[in-house]
Amino acid sequence: MLEFIIFFVFAAIAVIFALAVILHRNPVVGALSLVGSFFALAVMYVLLEAPFLAVLQIIVYAGAIMVLFLFVIMLLNLQHVREEHTRPVQQFLGYTGSALFGIAIVYYLAKYAAMQLPNGPFNADARAVGVELFQAYIFPFEMVSILLLAAIVGALLLSGRLPAKTRAAETEVAP
Amino acid sequence: MIPTHYFLILSAILFTIGVCGVLTRRNGITIFMSIELMVNAVNLTFLAYARQFHQLHGMIFVFFVMAIAAAEAAVGLAIFISLFHHRETIDVDEANLMHW
Repeated sequence: MLEFIIFFVFAAIAVIFALAVILHRNPVVGALSLVGSFFALAVMYVLLEAPFLAVLQIIVYAGAIMVLFLFVIMLLNLQHVREEHTRPVQQFLGYTGSALFGIAIVYYLAKYAAMQLPNGPFNADARAVGVELFQAYIFPFEMVSILLLAAIVGALLLSGRLPAKTRAAETEVAP
Repeated sequence: MIPTHYFLILSAILFTIGVCGVLTRRNGITIFMSIELMVNAVNLTFLAYARQFHQLHGMIFVFFVMAIAAAEAAVGLAIFISLFHHRETIDVDEANLMHW
């Protein structure tokens, strides 16, 4: 019974914060709402018997990725950027399309309501996930490290380069 | 134990909110945050089915999705910084060139 109360409270928190992300005009409020939504999802992961991934969700998502978002929003000083000319047709089509999509996907998933829960304990703590990760999935794990390295180099190349005019001016001044 | 389909429907709702954000907003960073929301909805589905079928593979997948989302966020935000340096805006309608 207590499990259900926790589920519904945190499901409501996750959905409300998610709505705040897409409805609020200020991106800083959106980013902080997304952090709240991720915390509520971490509670869902604990309910799903995945404590390791719940901790990872808080450290990696709410900690690292969202700090990166907030950092970029504040670096570009976007708090005061407004979306001036909204297009009614685009808004209407967007809301209608996503509402139809939502109805379709919930209708499809409702088929699984009759699914029985399996019996027996399910061991998915950090040790079990780690053993699986470093035995069966060691090659993809190493590939991810190369991918992250490539992402670091790509991010540095993209954001470190100045516009052509500024660069030309700098090289003129430098000698 | 909470039935699996509760988690699936919550995941569907969060995914739909993410789709709605991508389709209706034009601020690049907000669109990016909506994509993160959709990625998290999919992670929730993976974990729900991992418990349903007593499989660890779903959890490993969530681990990889998180790693790739981190890489995606870093590169995507770098693209937005670059776009802002050139155009003084992150409105995605303004980003209509691959090279300048």
